[in-house]
Amino acid sequence: MAESGANHKFAFYLGCIAPNRYPGCESAAIKTCKKLGIELLPLKGASCCPAPGAFGSIDLNVWYAMAARNLVLAEQMKMDIALLCNGCYKSIWEVNHKLKHNKDLRDGVNEVLKEIDMEYKGSINVYHIAELLYNPKYVGPEKVRDSITNPLTGARIAVHYGCHLTKPHKEREFEDEVMLNTEHPVWMEELVAALGATPVEYRNKMQCCGAGGGVRGYDIVHSLDITNEKLINLKEVGVDALTDICPFCQLQFDRGQIEIQEKFGVSYNLPVLHYCELLGLAQGMSPQDLGLDLHGISCEPFLQKVL
Amino acid sequence: MARTKGYPEALEKKLRDQRYVREDSNPDFLKNVKSISRTIAHMCYQCGTCTGSCPSAPRSSYRIRNFMRRAVLGLENEALTDPDLWLCTTCYSCTDRCPRDIAPTDVIMSMRNLAFKRDIVPVNFLKTVQAIYSSGHGVPNNDVNRAAREKLGLTRDPPTTHMYPEYIKGIQTILNHYKLKANADRIVKEREG
Repeated sequence: MAESGANHKFAFYLGCIAPNRYPGCESAAIKTCKKLGIELLPLKGASCCPAPGAFGSIDLNVWYAMAARNLVLAEQMKMDIALLCNGCYKSIWEVNHKLKHNKDLRDGVNEVLKEIDMEYKGSINVYHIAELLYNPKYVGPEKVRDSITNPLTGARIAVHYGCHLTKPHKEREFEDEVMLNTEHPVWMEELVAALGATPVEYRNKMQCCGAGGGVRGYDIVHSLDITNEKLINLKEVGVDALTDICPFCQLQFDRGQIEIQEKFGVSYNLPVLHYCELLGLAQGMSPQDLGLDLHGISCEPFLQKVL
Repeated sequence: MARTKGYPEALEKKLRDQRYVREDSNPDFLKNVKSISRTIAHMCYQCGTCTGSCPSAPRSSYRIRNFMRRAVLGLENEALTDPDLWLCTTCYSCTDRCPRDIAPTDVIMSMRNLAFKRDIVPVNFLKTVQAIYSSGHGVPNNDVNRAAREKLGLTRDPPTTHMYPEYIKGIQTILNHYKLKANADRIVKEREG
């Protein structure tokens, strides 16, 4: 079982949607990680990552510089970053990686950062919490299993991996090779099984949620149609909940179901929970502690099954 | 190695004849796409794996393979003025599956960058810029959420630029350096009055 006290400390990069729309994800991440020996410390003054779809589409140089500013804040703390959103992972991890390996980009970014008395050094690493939970060097499924007091027995849970944590896999550098499989990964299913729940496979599991690339803002019906296809595939296999590791995907599936009801006249009432929220429930946190009442789609039917 | 028939000059001439060049082709377009995207766009052999992997393709006329071809042929106007350019969700499925190790997603991103230089950009992208300029967040906090955060034992505002607004100035300096805020304001005003 876990040793007492924190074995690992990280600067906790929050992003936008977790703290400002699903604050339960933020509190769940802090509390559940603490039980697993990971302390998440505030990264003061961090901003939007910035949104890779919106900023990357307009001017990649601005995207590099803005992400670099967030990285420098963590460098000043002399701490690696942990975060809980795939979109943030794309900006923060990928810009860190690009700047470390491309001198021309690094020089360009530092020229701008000089104006605000900052310098990007490339001295830290960036991790997604899902990656830390899966990697036995930090936690691992076994330790996750040992930490739970309320197994989610009998719940059928499907996983939405999202895109930007693992894709494009040719550019990613996970220690565990199974995380580089973007056609049919099962590592998240292992984490779901560690909570006592039954992981459920479904058709076209790796398809995008439809929100990214600015498409949600550009053409909401198109965006929701992609989400709807995933919901149809989920309905086909019958699940009690969908779990994700990205608050933006969560927004698209959760609030998106309400929009789909309005625009397409179909309802699914499928509860959508971030893996940190699920882990919180399994570790004995109450739905109130997790802010599950803030979700667009009621989690009640699922909660009745597992509590 | 396969031997070519005839002399190198003859071969070169033959290849030149085979190249499909239209009056509106701009050879710099491919160069610009490659330098911004940092991917080998010219290696595309049009197999269509990208379009076959694309979640936007089945529900629209967006064909990423078409944009790859436009890059190779230098069809700049055709690519940058096509509204389908903005239907890529950047899921990177095409990039993961491309047998030539090209990143078609990054080609699309580079084309969007080039389109923005001509003021071609959907307004929602600019609104995100404006939100970040004023608050540091693309999706800012609100009162309902502040109350919810308090109930969860969190600070009313997260310890980001929301709690430490003194950091916003640095963000504004970066955005002003690239004249992004001024351009965003100008384009939004032109569109919305």
